[in-house]
Amino acid sequence: MANEARTISKRDVAGWLAALMRRAEVIAPVAAHGGDVAFAAISSPEQVVFDFQNSLHPPKQFVLPQTDPLVVIRRNGNGIELEPVRDAHPRVIFNLRSCDARSLAFLYRMHASDLPDGAYLARAENVTLVSLACTVPCELGFCTCCDAGPFLKEGTDVQLTDLGEHLLAEPGTDKGLAMLSEAGDLFRPARPDEERRRLELEEAAKRAFGAETCHFASAMRRVSTGRVPEELWGTMSDWCLECGGCNFVCPTCYCFSVKDMKQDGSWVRCRTWDSCQYQAFTLEASGHNPRERRADRIKRRFFHKVSAQYYLRDGTVGCVGCGRCVRVCLGTTDMPAVVEAIRKGAWNG
Amino acid sequence: MDSVLTTCPFCACGCSLYVQASNGRPTGVAPSENHPVSRGRLCARGWNAHEAPAWGDRLTRPLVRRGGRLEPTSWENALELARASLTTLIEAGKDVGVLGSARATNEENYLAVRLARGALRTGSVDSFLRATYQPLVDGIVAVANGRAPAGTLADVEASDFILVLEGDLANTHPQAAHAVIKAVKAGARLVTVGCARTQLARLAALHLPALPGERGFLVAGLVAAAVAEPEPAGSPERPLPGFEALRGSVAALPVSEQLRQVARWLAQATRAGILVGPDGGPPERLVREGTAIATLAAVTGHLGRPGSALLPLPARGNLRGACEMGVMPHLLPGTIPLTEATAGARLARVWGRAPASALGLTAAGMPGRVAGLVVHAEDVPAVAPTGQDVLEALGQTECLVVLDAFLTPTARAAHVVLPVASFAEGEGTITSLEGRVQRVRPAARPPGEARHGWRALSELSAALGLPFPYRSANDVLREIGEVVPAYAAVADGTRDEAWGTFTSPPSDDREPTLRPLAADRVVAALPAVLALEGVFDWGSDPLVSLSPTLCRDHVSRRKLYPQGLVQMSRRDADGLGVRHGWSVRLASAHGEVALPIVLCNELEPGVLLVPYAFRERVAGVLGGRSEVPVTAEKVQ
Repeated sequence: MANEARTISKRDVAGWLAALMRRAEVIAPVAAHGGDVAFAAISSPEQVVFDFQNSLHPPKQFVLPQTDPLVVIRRNGNGIELEPVRDAHPRVIFNLRSCDARSLAFLYRMHASDLPDGAYLARAENVTLVSLACTVPCELGFCTCCDAGPFLKEGTDVQLTDLGEHLLAEPGTDKGLAMLSEAGDLFRPARPDEERRRLELEEAAKRAFGAETCHFASAMRRVSTGRVPEELWGTMSDWCLECGGCNFVCPTCYCFSVKDMKQDGSWVRCRTWDSCQYQAFTLEASGHNPRERRADRIKRRFFHKVSAQYYLRDGTVGCVGCGRCVRVCLGTTDMPAVVEAIRKGAWNG
Repeated sequence: MDSVLTTCPFCACGCSLYVQASNGRPTGVAPSENHPVSRGRLCARGWNAHEAPAWGDRLTRPLVRRGGRLEPTSWENALELARASLTTLIEAGKDVGVLGSARATNEENYLAVRLARGALRTGSVDSFLRATYQPLVDGIVAVANGRAPAGTLADVEASDFILVLEGDLANTHPQAAHAVIKAVKAGARLVTVGCARTQLARLAALHLPALPGERGFLVAGLVAAAVAEPEPAGSPERPLPGFEALRGSVAALPVSEQLRQVARWLAQATRAGILVGPDGGPPERLVREGTAIATLAAVTGHLGRPGSALLPLPARGNLRGACEMGVMPHLLPGTIPLTEATAGARLARVWGRAPASALGLTAAGMPGRVAGLVVHAEDVPAVAPTGQDVLEALGQTECLVVLDAFLTPTARAAHVVLPVASFAEGEGTITSLEGRVQRVRPAARPPGEARHGWRALSELSAALGLPFPYRSANDVLREIGEVVPAYAAVADGTRDEAWGTFTSPPSDDREPTLRPLAADRVVAALPAVLALEGVFDWGSDPLVSLSPTLCRDHVSRRKLYPQGLVQMSRRDADGLGVRHGWSVRLASAHGEVALPIVLCNELEPGVLLVPYAFRERVAGVLGGRSEVPVTAEKVQ
């Protein structure tokens, strides 16, 4: 659909956003307290920021919230009544970065396969993604190692590229194409020089990467063939403070716990974010815990993220290279650091 | 979904986080990347801070006890009942008291003091955790000539030498542990002191084992090593006042090569961070420990040096703020002596009534002694040194008034319960271990008829005859600025844009005063020392116990060990011929108990630790002390 590329003048973006807001909740990066950037539902187009380092808290929360009501449970005479909670509200996630668009495709595949997850799919299927390609790599990102950026070939409904005065918009799906068509004459077909400029920007962005790299292939070989010394996990585990932050900000992590919340005489069964790094995550009702040692939990996390077994199932490593785990880690056991330790067989803090 | 920046309510590091709410209920947490303390990083508690307010057993209506049961009533009735009961007790000449809390804001704690010293005319106002923190601070402040503990976690992270005194920082103060880890990664030398080789001890260049209760003794040894050096690098150019008397007092202490090495490292460091975990034991001993620690910093040139930090760590959230607000039986707001006339006159002018200047009962002294007790945001059995056993004494109270967001065991025992906002709906400020005063902002409305804590306390005071001029928590903060000198700068409008305001300047050129040190030893004639692990159990705190994610470890341990447990090193267990889960009988001069053992590789041989959560189980063996020599034998 690349030849369907269009452009919109930056002056007209507010009008486009206003039109989108009339038929959907528009979620976009906005300025929060003291320089923080956060994804939030906007109340006016002027709130949207275009020049930003990706938010620390990923937009996955809008398809997979930290507290996610699934079923309302009510007493009905002697029985109980179950009412599924489905949130099919139309949403547009605007200006999300390539890695995040890629991660939502990953999460969709995961929730749609085997036993389809109705609550997740209801939300995800009503979300339209308008991603903003990264012309300048972020400080700690390594998306080039995960095929998740800085520009995308697939996995987003519309990809925007900042050309200065204009935004280039490339539809990636029929939904995206329809969205651009509905915007009418706010968009015009892209000129060849604009499409050329976009390609130049992509090449320049790729070249600008380098500081942060993550050698997944060699780590995968070692993890998948049992060539990581046991002691290494133990050593690394002293550098983890078990905060769970890596899981919570990871755009591809989806593990959860299930709890019932009392509400106005009924109960709401909720899915809540959980962390495989918490000791109680695998705690069994008997009191037995198969992964009582933190070392075993770290090992488990990285096995899930980079082993061949999961690569074959998911078609990718469980990482989009956003670098958020580097920013959030209360210890020093982020993805690039651990992958390096696995690859070298040694940990240097 | 709304998202509101607020201050983390758990430990005292002072992290900031966004609480997200949907339909009036907190649903999640997001980190703040630009906050100078947390910088996008939260611990497990912070990441789950929204849970207790959303999932907990919330109080939504005032309750009064009728016929042995708590029944809903109106605010007017509840306040009137509290007023009538407390007034009757006071008129009958009976003792009344007020408990503030490290879980409450500065404004609430200040109003708790105003309620006690202003409305109820009593000096009995305290919080339970004060005893684990303020004596250490008193000892430090005495050496520092009145200067409050100074330094930031950012200073610690930039240090080239760090001394961590006990406290399993990874669990108790994770953001402080992060600062230490980052510093170590950057090449700083870490020395840990304690009876367990905790996670940080394993990252340390050197770990100095210390028996429970002997931290101060070990630090005195470090002082002896430091003053024995001929020309300690980095030490002040001329001897500090009292230097010779100090040197004389520590001359007889044994100084090992390890102590000498650590003292040298500290003296040579350009920037040193000293983190002092909370400690148990008699207050006099903690004061001496604080004195020894500040002395060590002074003689090595780090006390008050810009970039160097000496930080006692409050066991819980707003403990520093509660103390500075005057939730103490022996000091007025601003940690001012009761007899200081200017401060008394200032309070009298602001309150319109002179404060009661009597020395009151301590928190531990109140249950069973006072006939009337007002408890704000404190669950007494969760924090009392006697644990669940305190409920019996609390049951003898003739009028127990509890203000809380949650239906805690203390609220269940009350005669009057006033529902107040939790941190997620509250407004006010809290003070971090650094002395950073930060806002608590409401992400949702208080549920049902619950009111803001500052308002509920003000109304209770008004019912008792001391009206209030406040229309917001900010009005209370402004008044605090008038009576607590260190908070004068806090009340201006800048803190909304900035990330909080510091109570005191980070450093000044006040010269330390040295004093002779007295060293405490735990005489361990018997083969082992039994002590409690820590001084606070997060599992009993409502914000943890009511969070489905955070309570799991604690609940599971209580299920597995309903009778409690004692932790023991493998060497001790092998010596006794017992295995993990087997029982041992522990006997001291005071009593004995049989407990299952849990093997703990981190423990030094000869040290037996019982988690603070199980303190009732060993109360008879400890006999009111924080550590005792014991014999241990296998239960056949």
